[in-house]
Amino acid sequence: MFRLLKGFGVTFNYFRKKNITIQYPDEKVVMPARFRGIHRFFPDKCIVCDLCVKVCPTDVITLTGKKSEENPKKKVIDTYNIDFQGCILCDFCTEVCPTDAIVMTARYNNLSSFNRAEQFKDIHWLSDNHVYGHYEESDPVPEMGERGERK
Amino acid sequence: MELKGFRETEQYDPRILEDIQKSVFFTKLEQLKAWSRTRSLWPLTFGLACCAIEMMSTGAARYDFDRFGVIFRASPRHADVMIVAGTVTAKMAPVLRTLYDQMPEPKYVISMGSCATCGGPYKESYSVLNGVDRIVPVDVYVPGCPPTPPALIDGVDLLREKIRREAKGEKVTQG
Repeated sequence: MFRLLKGFGVTFNYFRKKNITIQYPDEKVVMPARFRGIHRFFPDKCIVCDLCVKVCPTDVITLTGKKSEENPKKKVIDTYNIDFQGCILCDFCTEVCPTDAIVMTARYNNLSSFNRAEQFKDIHWLSDNHVYGHYEESDPVPEMGERGERK
Repeated sequence: MELKGFRETEQYDPRILEDIQKSVFFTKLEQLKAWSRTRSLWPLTFGLACCAIEMMSTGAARYDFDRFGVIFRASPRHADVMIVAGTVTAKMAPVLRTLYDQMPEPKYVISMGSCATCGGPYKESYSVLNGVDRIVPVDVYVPGCPPTPPALIDGVDLLREKIRREAKGEKVTQG
């Protein structure tokens, strides 16, 4: 009898502990700042160096640039597409980007779709993704360090 | 709520009509069936790779899938929805199709993760199926590698919306 109660001791202990279930659609977990969610793109920062396309292990990033109007030596971004269905969120594109033009956000939910075409994220979608780390756009955006780490 | 020929008649007292709207719940049989289906979606556990770990943790205590009436079944004959979680190899593909055929109608498929959706990092491999929608019709695609448990809950929620909208006669895009 004592052994039985001892065995159930772990189970009974949970009755007096706090409920650990996260009531997900009502309360959302705020992911830590370095969580790798869907990307955010800054078209102004991009210098069309093509490094993120080269480094991408699943070849989901495609981009085209055009000549800048005021400075013909420079290039500006024209189209930037991420085929998010194949993206494995490896963070390589963020690490390789010399100007931090593409960053990973902490957004992880409401991305599923009825068809595969909706997973194709273009430059407008990625620029309008107003999440930065786990900060919203209204919060002060933290200064970024040399390698994309927060100062 | 559509009450054809009922609202146009003037002979009813509007107060009574309002009372009816409040107290009597009008619905179509199809919508009622869809509602009951959405409340108990029993998925077939089809964990093939690392996405299965996230699927298991969705069923566990932290993100309790039982809150939504989603209870994992081990047999395809009990299941309504198949959550394909992981890489579908060419060897596994006929098995997956057999299990899908054994599920009773109505049946739905959720493709979970990059590998099941389009092959993911193995899309140039000789032995991996590039997307599970080549062999079974997929209703909801959940992106991520692997998707977090909230993302999977969102995917199931989207499937619920699809069932409800199809019962109303709307066409939800597929493919």
